[in-house]
Amino acid sequence: MDDSPYNKASGDEEEEEELVDETGYKTTKDAVIFAIDVSKSMLQKPPATDADDKKTDSDSDSATHAALKCAYQLMQQRIISNPNDMMGILLFGTQRDRFMDDKYNPYPHCYVLTELEIPDAQNVKKLRDLVNDEEEAGKLLQPCEGGVKMASVLFCANQIFTTKASNFASRRLFLVTDNDDPHRGEKALASTAAVRAKDLYDLGVVIELFPISKPDHEFDRTIFYDDIVYRNTLNTDENAPAPLTSAAKPSKSGSGISLFQSLLSNINSHISPRRALFSVPLELSPGIRIGVKGYILFKREEIRKSCNVWMGGEKPQIAVGSTTRMADDTARTVEKVEIKKAFKFGGDTVSFGEEELKRIKYFGDPVIRVIGFKDRKLLPAWANYKHSTLIYPSETDFVGSTRVFSALWQKMRKAKKFALVWFIPRRNATPVLAAAIPGEEKYGDDGEQVSPPGLWIVNLPFADDIRQVPETTMVPATDELVDAARMFMQQVMLPKSVYNPKNYPNPALQWFYRVLQAMALEEDLPETPEDKTLPRYRQIDKRAGSYVTDWGTTLESSYQAYITEHGHRSTTTTSLKKRPAATADGDATTKKIKTEVDGVGEEEMRERFENGTVEKLTLPVLKEFLGAKKIPVGGKKKDLVDRVVGYFASK
Amino acid sequence: MADKEATVYIIDVGKSMGQKDQGRESTNLEWSMQYVWDKITTTVATGRKTAGVGVLGLRTDETDNMMGEEEGYEHISIFQPIQQTMMSDLKYLRDTIKPSKTRKGDALSALIVATQMIVLHCKRLKYIRKIVLVTDGLGQMDDDDAAPITGKIKEECIELLILGVDFDDAEFGFKEENKDPVKKANEKVLQEICEECDGTFATMALAIKERVGVPEVKKTRPVNSYKGLLTLGNPEKYDTAMCIDIERYPKVMVASAPTASSHVQGSGSAIPGPSAQSSATIQDGKESHQNGLVAVRNARTYVVDDPDAPGGKRDVEIEETEKGFAYGGTVVPVSTSDMDVINLETIATMDIIGFVDGGLYEPYMSMSKSNLIIARKADDKAAMALSSLIHAMFERETYAVARFVPKDKKAPVLLLLAPCIDTDNGLEYLVDVELPFAEDVRHYVFPPLDRVVTVGRKKLIQHRNLPSEGLLQAMSDYVDAMDISTFGEDDEGNPTEYARMEEAFSPKLHRINQALKFRAVNETDEVPPPWESIIRYSNPPTKLLEQAQAAIDDVIRTSDIKKVPPKQKGRKRGRVIDKPLSGLDVDELLGREKRAKISDENAIPEFKQLLATIEEMDEVKKAMDQMGAIVRQFIERSVGDSGYNRALEMMRVMKEEMTDFEFPDLYNEFVRDLKRKILKGELGQGRDEMWYKIRTTRLGLIDSKTSDVSDVTPEEAFEFSKQKL
Repeated sequence: MDDSPYNKASGDEEEEEELVDETGYKTTKDAVIFAIDVSKSMLQKPPATDADDKKTDSDSDSATHAALKCAYQLMQQRIISNPNDMMGILLFGTQRDRFMDDKYNPYPHCYVLTELEIPDAQNVKKLRDLVNDEEEAGKLLQPCEGGVKMASVLFCANQIFTTKASNFASRRLFLVTDNDDPHRGEKALASTAAVRAKDLYDLGVVIELFPISKPDHEFDRTIFYDDIVYRNTLNTDENAPAPLTSAAKPSKSGSGISLFQSLLSNINSHISPRRALFSVPLELSPGIRIGVKGYILFKREEIRKSCNVWMGGEKPQIAVGSTTRMADDTARTVEKVEIKKAFKFGGDTVSFGEEELKRIKYFGDPVIRVIGFKDRKLLPAWANYKHSTLIYPSETDFVGSTRVFSALWQKMRKAKKFALVWFIPRRNATPVLAAAIPGEEKYGDDGEQVSPPGLWIVNLPFADDIRQVPETTMVPATDELVDAARMFMQQVMLPKSVYNPKNYPNPALQWFYRVLQAMALEEDLPETPEDKTLPRYRQIDKRAGSYVTDWGTTLESSYQAYITEHGHRSTTTTSLKKRPAATADGDATTKKIKTEVDGVGEEEMRERFENGTVEKLTLPVLKEFLGAKKIPVGGKKKDLVDRVVGYFASK
Repeated sequence: MADKEATVYIIDVGKSMGQKDQGRESTNLEWSMQYVWDKITTTVATGRKTAGVGVLGLRTDETDNMMGEEEGYEHISIFQPIQQTMMSDLKYLRDTIKPSKTRKGDALSALIVATQMIVLHCKRLKYIRKIVLVTDGLGQMDDDDAAPITGKIKEECIELLILGVDFDDAEFGFKEENKDPVKKANEKVLQEICEECDGTFATMALAIKERVGVPEVKKTRPVNSYKGLLTLGNPEKYDTAMCIDIERYPKVMVASAPTASSHVQGSGSAIPGPSAQSSATIQDGKESHQNGLVAVRNARTYVVDDPDAPGGKRDVEIEETEKGFAYGGTVVPVSTSDMDVINLETIATMDIIGFVDGGLYEPYMSMSKSNLIIARKADDKAAMALSSLIHAMFERETYAVARFVPKDKKAPVLLLLAPCIDTDNGLEYLVDVELPFAEDVRHYVFPPLDRVVTVGRKKLIQHRNLPSEGLLQAMSDYVDAMDISTFGEDDEGNPTEYARMEEAFSPKLHRINQALKFRAVNETDEVPPPWESIIRYSNPPTKLLEQAQAAIDDVIRTSDIKKVPPKQKGRKRGRVIDKPLSGLDVDELLGREKRAKISDENAIPEFKQLLATIEEMDEVKKAMDQMGAIVRQFIERSVGDSGYNRALEMMRVMKEEMTDFEFPDLYNEFVRDLKRKILKGELGQGRDEMWYKIRTTRLGLIDSKTSDVSDVTPEEAFEFSKQKL
């Protein structure tokens, strides 16, 4: 009856394996405290510049304000992406004090803005109010005189982590400050802070520093913070890099990039704690093995499944389900040890002993084994069925792995090769063949790494997974027509001719959480979704319109020439459905430059509605009409007719 | 779906089939049946009702066929009429197909009976008809009237396959020495019959070599997942939009392996121990449960927190609940009408957003199964239009990015469309794969691989993590030597790509099928190792390794890889004291403070720091005692389970440290005592939950697997964790 991991409902074999795959990765829960410095300089708004008229709101943010905005954004983001992770916000250097749960505060000038917990709608609201309401913010964001002791801040964080997230595998303190010398050379204070930092380190808390440089002063870590921050050697990830991106991002007014943006991108690159999905040897040949770890960098973020909410209590509560297994004949409860796995075969079942089945499915220990190298062009675009995995060397098991991996990666890039590998990611996982493709290290406009170096593992389909191409007739396009297509194609290239995922938030996911957030806060629902995936129709028309028209004309003439030579296929193919009336000439509709609304206009349809002849129209015509009115076009003809009728009836 | 099938296997079970020839270890019958079982079980595995199999025995002791007592049809018995074969049938056939005591029985008469079986079963309906004759050709045959037989076989469109035990086959390279003259004559007759009705005639060894252990790829009828327009621009608003009628079909779809479902011993029979490992075939879904196994059903129950209820939880019925979602820590009920609002309103479409440079596309961005796009069927104009787009994209190595909504109201995805021209098969189409959205990308940062950047921002090009010139050269030679772009051979012996995707079989799918097929006809023996065909690409080909050996040796020499011995993997490698980036010795600062007593509010760091300064066993013990007291205090003072997590975290650290210190006894002693105190209620009533948590977070005894110096066996540790007092 309990819902412990020991008693989870398990479906068939397949499902179980998939679960292992993802859960091992996700259950490592993460808790982050955002500690934001509230000092005079942090609260200072950047001076006005010449580019005043171009300024956006965020250009005039004080550093504290920018940090709060980041926290607000990240909180909403994490609700979507990490619904089980905790986040809390701690202000330091404030005049007012507040400790968690409104207990007595032994840490002066530390103010717990939101508790360390799974953020709820109220936390989001609180933060939003602070970000949007300057007056309200002004009351709270009062810097104290004489500064804060960093030891207090660190110990305060220590206590919050210890109480609220005592056994979280990943705990991190994000420090946002512009003060590289908080104790102005007072040795004793700095030492106590260093001791408190060691406490955090021993507790397993990682400190991530997000320094802010002032226009006239570059943030100097060596003064104080290098005594506080440790190389991230905790948790499972022993080879995390030196703090590579946490380089100070000075806010230079008018530089085009606001402090907020640079801070956000900086924090964003640290927001998901990096965890390895697997750790396996990479075997170059029977005599050469090195250590690598696998990471998932692309994973579809889905709308969470709905849950069952029980409204009988003080506030809505999720009814937690658990599964009991029962024998089909007597409905008695069944223990896990009693269960036997059996395959359906020939109307009966065939079962194997547990050990026997393990032996059958055993193909060897986890490994990535190189079978050989192939030219990159031998890898077709369709050879894919799931997201890729990045592998990066690890020295844990084999000293020298990194240099060997580096040599391999460099050669493969140069020679434009990929490796065919036999891949068993985990114990008892079934093997797949995969392509290991070298990835270029790339940096974005702000100098942040957008694509890491390493080898990407792309699982390849087996012969059993490749489907047949359905029978089709080839109708070759004339060279003239191909040229015409190329003309319009070249007019609508995406920026830099590449697809950049950053520009395309998932519209359904964003809409879902926007609406859900409004519901949670009992606010008005938003009216129009923002959908950045919608093509820029006006631009397409302007840039490519005339070329598409040319292509359409060429298509028409090429096609006429084709049917003169080959004849109408619709007349030779007997099994073809009769063409709809509106397209009686046999080809005009299927492919054309649309002029006006095809088929039936509003007027004609109204007439038909009035004299009851809507149903005389053909399915495509109805669809065309409904589509134009943004009414669903699915279903049977009768449904479509009903919808058309409904459309006029409601008018 | 697939066409109906009727196949009759004629199995020669004459006395001579019981011999062992050509140095084989099994009898001719057993050897030949490998092939037959493989074919029949493959059919059984499909589970298709319309795939009928009949089995006819030739040279049987008895006579049992529809020709009755007619002369010439003796010693021919129908073992199984044409029908879907079930497990029980297989069992029957296995028991029945044994060498007989007779030499009599006419293969040609058997062909007539088999033909008749097919005629009676299929009538004039659409069937794929097939007869497979397996014989050693040593029976007497009356070949006077072969013509009517071949005539009938041809008339009924029956595919004939004759497989002979040790028949001569020049092409395969087999010739039986001192062949029996009867067999020689029979071989000739059978071959002529085969040729007459366009059948296949082969020696058994060839069939076994080429067919047994070679998986068949199941063909699936393509079903489209989208049928509609591919557009560029908005045809509703602009008269300059491109629209092409297209259809979309799966290109890659992972073929799923057979899955096992849960069963349990039904009532009325003894429950076997959990370690029962014997294989058994069991009845399912029938009145009689042979081995008494019944299916396992899942029942779901729901609970909510209720402080007033005993145990803090109460059951609720699913009918009492509403649908809703969690927004972070807030639970939001959503009514049915709001469900429509919360899901983005969309209309089915495939709408090109723009084009990208195919050469710059990184294949690792692809997120999904791939599909293919062709013009609407029987629409030549659409085909021509799409063709122009495909060719324009292909020539320029350009891909398109499109917004795709497969059905109204479905969430949009972004697709990459790439051109694909297969000149060999005269096919052209677009393929698509899903692209990531902004939310799908995780921003993990990794250090560069071709340079080392130090904390002081210095760039190094020589470092132990960077390859030497020698290693770079050796690696380059290795990659070149291991190239398999042209290592394979096509049918004509020309060099071609080795290990093409189309040649590699899914190991999981076919391994389980292999095991199932084996177990279906053999209940006792260990399932044989995987067929070569399904693990062919698990290792580089030997020839390749041989030619790359010199390069491999060079890599080994220049790389100087050292395996880390398992012992050193522990966290405390030589007790390095962790330091902050500046290298400041914090322990020295700490030393001034002297933390001998561990406070409960900062217990873990203080415990660790205390341990870092001491070596003596009794000092360690004192530290452990202090921690133990704090753990117990947290449990005892816990309101409900409020203190449990902190106690667990402390225990985790204690266990870890004692493992590293190699003092497992200190921890084991503590945890034994703790268990007793908890279960006896010495730390307050109702603390069993805490023990349950200790168990599930694996904080029980340190066993000898975890620490060499522990005297607790893993079994003991397991017993300890589950055992009540």
